[in-house]
Amino acid sequence: MDTPSGGLVRSHCVGTTAVVYASDYLNKLTGEKIERECRRQLDCGCRALVIDFSDTELVNSIGISILLGIIDVAEKSGAQIVFSEVNNQTVQLFEMLGLTRHVVLAKDEHEALINLSRFETTPIVH
Amino acid sequence: MSSRNENFRRVLGRVVQQDFVGRAAELNRIMAHAESAKAGRGLLLLMEPSAGVSELLRQAYDQIFNRRSEVIPIYFAISRNETTAVSAAIEFLNTFLQQYIAYRRDEPVVSDAPLTLHDLVELAPAADLEWIEQLVESYNRLRFSNDDKALVRFCLGAPQRIPAVRGRPFVMLDGSQLAEYLNGAVVLGTEILRVFARGGFSFVLAGLRRQILEAAHDANCNFELLDMLRLEQLDATEAAKLVEHVARRQQVATSEAARDLIVQQFAGSPFFIHTYLQAAREKHAPLHSYLDCERLYVDELFGGHIHRHFADLLEEISPRLDTRHLLIRLLWEAAAGEEPISSFELWRKRLHMTATELEDLLHRLHVQEFVNWDETTIEAGSGPQAWKDYLKIRYRLDVMSEPRALVVADMLADSLKRAPHTMARHYKQIANAGLRDLISRFNCQQVPAALFDYKIFSEKYKGAESETIVSGLAAETEFIKLPQTIHLATCSAFISDMRQLCEDEHCLVAHTFEEATYSDAQEVIWLAADIESKLEVDVSVARAWCDRFESMAERLGFSRFQIWLISNEGFSVEASALLARRKALGSSRQQLELLASHVRDSVHNAVVETEGPDEFMMVVPMGEDNELIAASTAEQIAKRLTFRPEAINQIKTAIVEACINASEHSFSPDRKIYQRFRVESDRLVITISSRGIVPTNLNGTKSGAEAKEVAEERRGWGLKLIRTLMDEVEFERVDDGTSLRMTKYLRPQKESKSAIE
Repeated sequence: MDTPSGGLVRSHCVGTTAVVYASDYLNKLTGEKIERECRRQLDCGCRALVIDFSDTELVNSIGISILLGIIDVAEKSGAQIVFSEVNNQTVQLFEMLGLTRHVVLAKDEHEALINLSRFETTPIVH
Repeated sequence: MSSRNENFRRVLGRVVQQDFVGRAAELNRIMAHAESAKAGRGLLLLMEPSAGVSELLRQAYDQIFNRRSEVIPIYFAISRNETTAVSAAIEFLNTFLQQYIAYRRDEPVVSDAPLTLHDLVELAPAADLEWIEQLVESYNRLRFSNDDKALVRFCLGAPQRIPAVRGRPFVMLDGSQLAEYLNGAVVLGTEILRVFARGGFSFVLAGLRRQILEAAHDANCNFELLDMLRLEQLDATEAAKLVEHVARRQQVATSEAARDLIVQQFAGSPFFIHTYLQAAREKHAPLHSYLDCERLYVDELFGGHIHRHFADLLEEISPRLDTRHLLIRLLWEAAAGEEPISSFELWRKRLHMTATELEDLLHRLHVQEFVNWDETTIEAGSGPQAWKDYLKIRYRLDVMSEPRALVVADMLADSLKRAPHTMARHYKQIANAGLRDLISRFNCQQVPAALFDYKIFSEKYKGAESETIVSGLAAETEFIKLPQTIHLATCSAFISDMRQLCEDEHCLVAHTFEEATYSDAQEVIWLAADIESKLEVDVSVARAWCDRFESMAERLGFSRFQIWLISNEGFSVEASALLARRKALGSSRQQLELLASHVRDSVHNAVVETEGPDEFMMVVPMGEDNELIAASTAEQIAKRLTFRPEAINQIKTAIVEACINASEHSFSPDRKIYQRFRVESDRLVITISSRGIVPTNLNGTKSGAEAKEVAEERRGWGLKLIRTLMDEVEFERVDDGTSLRMTKYLRPQKESKSAIE
């Protein structure tokens, strides 16, 4: 397990995939920490991101806007992104604000990693 | 505490408690003022002329006397017999000692007995003898010192010499309207307030409202230590009760018609009602018919108590006979409507007075509310009907030297002719009270638009059962949001000519603000008229009213106005079309009543909301994730209401968003979020408020294009989320900042909303 400097966001790498754990309340402050960690992981060469919401009980609209920013950053880096173990309430919010159009949801971290491994083996056709 | 029992002793009251009607609320207020919590505070009883105050204070005295608590009641009325401030102050000292000893000895008879200071020292209880003797000795020394001001202050300040162990004085001073006119160098009214306000004891000072307020300012009173109670004329119901009680006590036979005429003719004035019925008793005059009433009325005007009352006032106002005649002429001409408003200079010329003399005279007239004087202009013609009739009589007798018999006959005939009109006006006022009351309650309620459009209403609902109409209106989809009324007055208050076109209460001008937002753009003047008609109003009448209101709006500079016409039976097809073209609203009586019920219900609901017992309030500082505290609180409350877990999460998220909005957008000066959670049987109502500014993007729903634009941004989703997660979301109008009310029903009122995109 890897804890990056300058933040309390838990994360670790599985191959070229970084798994970042969101805290119990996703707001501006915790959202920005996740964003920083994701950027750091991408800068270090990660090709995919899993953001795990297993601890997250509550998400606010600022947190969601930051997640959209992370999705943008990932897209620009050519990295895949999956959200895992999102509770029903949060899924509802993501749907309301259109996040689910831009990100894959997985039941848990394991399913997320499997999904991403499929992407890695699928040749990209331009 | 109720003191209506057999042991209750009448001390100063002139009527038994049961016969004292119409002033229960005011009496309670005075009694509350005597409580220890109000110790050291003054209560200014601001009386409308002839509203009557003496018996109210005497009743309060009796109640306090009978309580036998530490509060010692003192009641003093300045009478016209006192000619100087010094003599009035000495009389006050005497009365104070007498009533103090009466209370200490528990002997009511001492309160009103003719006793000298020497008698009082002899009657003083042993425990009080020392300080009372010292008081009398000091008084005797000051009395011959030639320092009037010191003597007046000493006498008025006597209550503060009561040793604390003996109790607290509660001084009620009645009739101070006379104090200013006492001869001598000391202005008694101002001295009373100076001494009382600094005396450390509780007091009530009753007098004419204009004079008392002026005296309080002149005395540099600390208004933080003064409470105010306004004493106006009685309403028709209370005044009718008063007539019945007084007539029974005075053994004057009256009919219901006579009773109601007396109430209306004297506009509910307790003073005139008492005076008039007293005259009826003295003359053994039963009051069965209008003729009985008007005969007695005319007798009173020509030579009875009412005549003496006005004659005394006029003499005080204008002591010189020659000036008095000129004044009567001026006042009567104004009352007759010839010159209601004129200049100070014109009055000075016509009364042949110096500026100083005229200022003094006008001040006295102003205090009695016979004129409204604002330094430059004089608006005469006000005052009660009896005053105007008295002026007319004096004018015809004294100025025009007409034969007395002719003036008496004319006045009787005129009064009799006027009586049915007086009553008709009253009955119409009752019928129209609804319109004034209704408009005054406008406060941003949403009501079906059909209630303001007679054409639509008649097409849909004419002839339908009331249940059908109510359910039909409940299903209406077109609404009008009423504005908030901030000022309401009759049209004639703005343009006196309007009185010739309709009764006062039939034609109203309401200054309103849409959305209760106080800006030029939201200001709308409603011009409403209730048109008398037994049939549907035709196009010519509707056009005349629209023209009239438009001309009025232009004359008064109302840039945005809304015409609203009401008619018993609505409007003809052509008239409805005209109203639509002129963008005027039109309602029938039935629509008006339905509208009143909608508005009343919304007001009732508002009261329930603020008075509900199951309410929790919490204030949290902004920031530090404190929105989570609010969310957790809501969760606990919602669980009690057995909301589903999903709904609880929606509530929590909505609260979090509301708190974030408050923190981010309000520029709050105190950086606090005020939360109110109200539990009702089928819903949870949460109000999140903050002080500061109202963010422009928060107020109201945006258009589709605007909404899309906002959704495409990555911020500003809070309100969208809240609206989606909660069943009802509304901004409440507050003067400072925002207040967002969110309601969640146990059983959702609406289907879940789709995603915002």
